[in-house]
Amino acid sequence: MIGIPRQKNAIRHTPEDRIINTMIIILTTFVFIVTVYPFYYVLIMSFNNGNDAMRGGIYLWPRVFTMENYGQFLNDSKWISAIFVSFARTVLGTGLGVLFTCMVAYAMSFEDLKLRKFYYGIMIICMYFSGGLIPYYLTLRQIGLLNNFLVYIIPMMFSIYYMILAISFFQAIPRTLYESAYLDGANDAYIYVKIVLPLSLPLLATLALFMAVNQWNSWMDTAFYCTGQKNLRTLAYLLRDLIVSNETGVQRGWQAISDVAAGKMKAVTSKSIQMAAMMISILPIICVYPFLQKYFVSGIMLGAVKG
Amino acid sequence: MTSAQPHAIGKAHPILRDIRKRWMLHLFIWCGLAFLFVFNIIPITGLQMAFRTFKLKDGFAGIFNGQFVGFQYFNEFLSDRKFTVLLRNTMSISVLKLLFNFPLAITFAIMLTEMPGRKFKRVVQTVSYLPHFISWVIVSGLLFTFLSSSSGMLTDLFKSMGIEMPAILVKGDYYYGLAVFSELWKEMGWNAIIYLAAISGIDPTLYESAQIDGAGRIRRIFNITLPSIRGTIAVLLILGVGGLMGGANFEQSLLLGNSTNIARSEIIEVYVYNQGLVAGRYSYAAAAGLFQSMISLFLVISANWFSRRFLDTSLF
Repeated sequence: MIGIPRQKNAIRHTPEDRIINTMIIILTTFVFIVTVYPFYYVLIMSFNNGNDAMRGGIYLWPRVFTMENYGQFLNDSKWISAIFVSFARTVLGTGLGVLFTCMVAYAMSFEDLKLRKFYYGIMIICMYFSGGLIPYYLTLRQIGLLNNFLVYIIPMMFSIYYMILAISFFQAIPRTLYESAYLDGANDAYIYVKIVLPLSLPLLATLALFMAVNQWNSWMDTAFYCTGQKNLRTLAYLLRDLIVSNETGVQRGWQAISDVAAGKMKAVTSKSIQMAAMMISILPIICVYPFLQKYFVSGIMLGAVKG
Repeated sequence: MTSAQPHAIGKAHPILRDIRKRWMLHLFIWCGLAFLFVFNIIPITGLQMAFRTFKLKDGFAGIFNGQFVGFQYFNEFLSDRKFTVLLRNTMSISVLKLLFNFPLAITFAIMLTEMPGRKFKRVVQTVSYLPHFISWVIVSGLLFTFLSSSSGMLTDLFKSMGIEMPAILVKGDYYYGLAVFSELWKEMGWNAIIYLAAISGIDPTLYESAQIDGAGRIRRIFNITLPSIRGTIAVLLILGVGGLMGGANFEQSLLLGNSTNIARSEIIEVYVYNQGLVAGRYSYAAAAGLFQSMISLFLVISANWFSRRFLDTSLF
């Protein structure tokens, strides 16, 4: 956590201090509420009967509690398949991405490596310049990554920005550790896996968090590169579809989804399912966030100092 | 670096000798370069399709040997009736974001450091990063849930108080505000992190002696805090200007744009997507994309020049 300059000596509060303190408390409380309440609102709406929610007026607590939104959601094979695809790309993409990016960073962390400046120059150019969407799309098409699950994994494997972050982390590892390993006959692959990676857990956690969040949240690659394959649709993509259709078909959103089997009053609307879907896609992020929080702040700093 | 591979190496060139001696390290890097070759260099060389007539049926080679037409597609884009609107939207949204969100992140960081009470401070700080990790899809869902003119929570709330909410999500007039505010909501806390770090690096005795000399809180903020983080502000400003045209604008526009606010929500990147991937006018779309990249490049270079000239800080 970031240290903040302490002002313990400020014992006597002047009127100015009091006014400022009050203003700050009011403003930060406002920020706090504006940030947290939307999530809370979606949470309570996801547990509320969809037809009842249509009447509005729910602000703090579900009025007609139901689990059916989640029930309906988890019964739909379309969503289950999307969750599976999202999960698979997150795990594979993050794992390979971290290992590959750090592998290059490990080699680049040797200042005395010949050609290092040359390698670095190419990488920096590639960081600042890109061909843009159209040539990139045609390249993916040429190498057969369109409508292919691997389009979620392979193009995400290497990030120059994260590599730079990793280099500065690796350079803090004492060289003597490598030297004794070399003397024992170890090669660089061994050193990377057995020495460097275990010593870099905070870095790995930071990169894994960034890459995983990016993978989990990504929907544009599905929309651009996987238009022909329904079974490659991700959770974020389907959610976007649902949100857009609920919004453009304004009335439709609140209409009950026909529940043919039971003649009873339907509890679920397309809108209330959207609430459940939103909660489910936020959930993994909220779950890992508290654990990784302490790492990413220091990770960002590292990048900021060197960067 | 000493390596335990005492081969008889002879009198090869020092670079070759290094490659032979530490071939595995070089191999690791070559893997990275191979990646960049495929996913960066090839698309960059493919940019020449903006100057050639590329047809999908000619296959990938068509990018490099299609008929050369010079600036035809650029002229077409520049004289398109949509061009001025696209340019205006692209620039306005970016500039407005920089104008509002950049100073607000600094303000928020200063507010956090000046905040009394450590516990609440930590809570606010932690919560303020969270939206950064939430996808734009979710953010658009939240915006619709709250602002939709048929069923939005805020619309309902205001209606029950007798106030009519404007159709923020539908009317083009509100799109710029919507884009700026939603990005502020998502990124303000995250953008404040770097300033917080810079502020925490300020020598606390500066504040103490200023206090003894009778400087109030406001005086201390303007005379100590802000001047001390000037370098950080400058660097982030250059990065901000450089990233003006990119960032979340594309994703935002795809998610929040619709047929009713298209006059304000359509930006060059969306146009490139629609013309290229949807309508199949690849060369034309690539030319429009290249046009935007050129503006970005120009912006980075001028921001850097400006900063070196007037703030004594530069990136390159």
